[in-house]
Amino acid sequence: MLKITDLHAYYGPIEALKGINVHVEAGKITCLIGSNGAGKTTLLNAISGTIKRTGSIIVEGKGEIIDKHSRFIARRGIIHVPEGRHIFPGLTVRENLETGTVNWHGFFGRQPYDKELKEVYKLFPRLEERKNQLGWSLSGGEQQMLAIGRAMMARPAVLMLDEPSMGLAPLVVQELFEKIVEINKQQGIPILLVEQNARLALEISHYAYIIDGGSVKLEGSSSELKNDPRVIEAYLGKFAKKN
Amino acid sequence: MNINTIVSLSVNGIAMGMIYALMAMGLILLIRAIGVMNFAQGDLLMFGAFVTCALTVDLKLPLWIMIPLALISFAVIGVIFMFTVYWPLKDATYPTATVISTMGAAMALKEIATLIWGSLPRSMPPLMKNPKTGKAAVLNLFGIKLQWQFVLTIIVGAVLIWLVFVLFEKLYAGRMMQAAAQDKYAAELLGIPTILTTAATYIIVVIMVSTGGYMIAPIFMVSNTLGSLQLRAFAGVVIGGLGNIKGAIIGSLIIGLVESFSTIQFSQYKDAVVFIVLIAMLLVRPQGLFGEKVADKA
Ligand SMILES: Nc1ncnc2c1ncn2[C@@H]1O[C@H](COP(=O)(O)OP(=O)(O)O)[C@@H](O)[C@H]1O
Ligand SMILES: [Mg+2]
Repeated sequence: MLKITDLHAYYGPIEALKGINVHVEAGKITCLIGSNGAGKTTLLNAISGTIKRTGSIIVEGKGEIIDKHSRFIARRGIIHVPEGRHIFPGLTVRENLETGTVNWHGFFGRQPYDKELKEVYKLFPRLEERKNQLGWSLSGGEQQMLAIGRAMMARPAVLMLDEPSMGLAPLVVQELFEKIVEINKQQGIPILLVEQNARLALEISHYAYIIDGGSVKLEGSSSELKNDPRVIEAYLGKFAKKN
Repeated sequence: MNINTIVSLSVNGIAMGMIYALMAMGLILLIRAIGVMNFAQGDLLMFGAFVTCALTVDLKLPLWIMIPLALISFAVIGVIFMFTVYWPLKDATYPTATVISTMGAAMALKEIATLIWGSLPRSMPPLMKNPKTGKAAVLNLFGIKLQWQFVLTIIVGAVLIWLVFVLFEKLYAGRMMQAAAQDKYAAELLGIPTILTTAATYIIVVIMVSTGGYMIAPIFMVSNTLGSLQLRAFAGVVIGGLGNIKGAIIGSLIIGLVESFSTIQFSQYKDAVVFIVLIAMLLVRPQGLFGEKVADKA
């Protein structure tokens, strides 16, 4: 679905991505695992076009997007749910969801989006209960649901999620990850998932890349990597040994 | 003081307050959209007064051609302002750079106005004239005499403010503008054209402020000192509570009324009275009448 080849990105003189090759397969969940500062967020920003980058990013059936502005990338349905949620604090839940439609709807658009809204409410009933509440007043888990719901309004061809579990209670994370799997299974939307919680990420993904220092250190099917001693030692730690 | 004086002073005060409110609302829209305090607000008003004066007096255009032409000019000025004063500095490492740049723009606007229209104050005919005398028309309301120009200023100001509220609250594009103002990064990830929302904000602000200039042009003379009125708008913003649009409108109306009523006793000190009220306000309620609430919208 997304074929990323030799991707480089820089912050001033610092090379943050040193030639990354990643393949997001259609219909699958692909995850990126790596410690803090490895370059995972930078990679997502490079794909969504919010930072300068070189190399090649080919969207299946839609061509090269490496030289495209973030607006055009969003229009192709590549939707990035950023780290820290970034929901609009002064808009209501419903209005936040509405902003997700702008990529297919146009700036002045007047087409109905009831169908998308209904599906998001079905996926996250909590959002419908809170639809008239302002964004800032939601709990962390609800904000993450809203961020994903807003991306679902955008008719995504690929969904990129940056650390959706960050700062959430285990029970909430569990619920959220069930929804992520549901989105992938029922709607067939390919997902590129960035997680620090490696155990959980390997649990639900099909294929995984281990990123460190701006390059891919290891890749393989998630079930394989789950049992790889190097991965267990570096990323799964005590928990994996307990199993 | 009889009822006659009270009513007419109130109308004058609210009319001036509307002008300050247009500037104040524009200030807050810009602060929200790009995080920059615009110190050229008053000189944009001055420039709007000159432009409309040129269209009306020099070109002698009838109102129905003058108004659309003026609106187009204001929109163009807004876009030029954005791309010369804000855009080149938007990624500056020193964020105050864009604020300083608006101060430079204020001076530039003054100088441009002087270059084009000279340094002598110009007079502008009122919107409604008495057909017999040719002087400013007077509205006779149950024996209370009111200048039509003040009444019209209130109406035009209120309609403009209402239209901007409708745009932001009721229209899809307005909500996209709010979103872009609240979180530019998230807006870009969703594909909201942030360059367009920023340009639209500048256009709206310049139209509001310049229309204010057009409405007060017949009340004052059109001169390059009109820009100093922006101090009243700043006072209105502070009284209302920085960042709150409804508060800034009410604060500006209060400033207009205080100024108007202070002319009864101390006409030549009305500036001092306005700022004494402002200082008193800062001492008693520094967060302004309405404070700052994250929950506040548009
Ligand atoms: N805006 C920035 N300016 C300079 N360096 C940055 C910036 N953002 C990230 N970096 C650096 O790039 C590297 C990768 O960061 P990031 O992609 O955020 O890591 P991750 O998401 O994997 O934790 C880190 O060394 C970080 O310090
Ligand atoms: Mg990160």
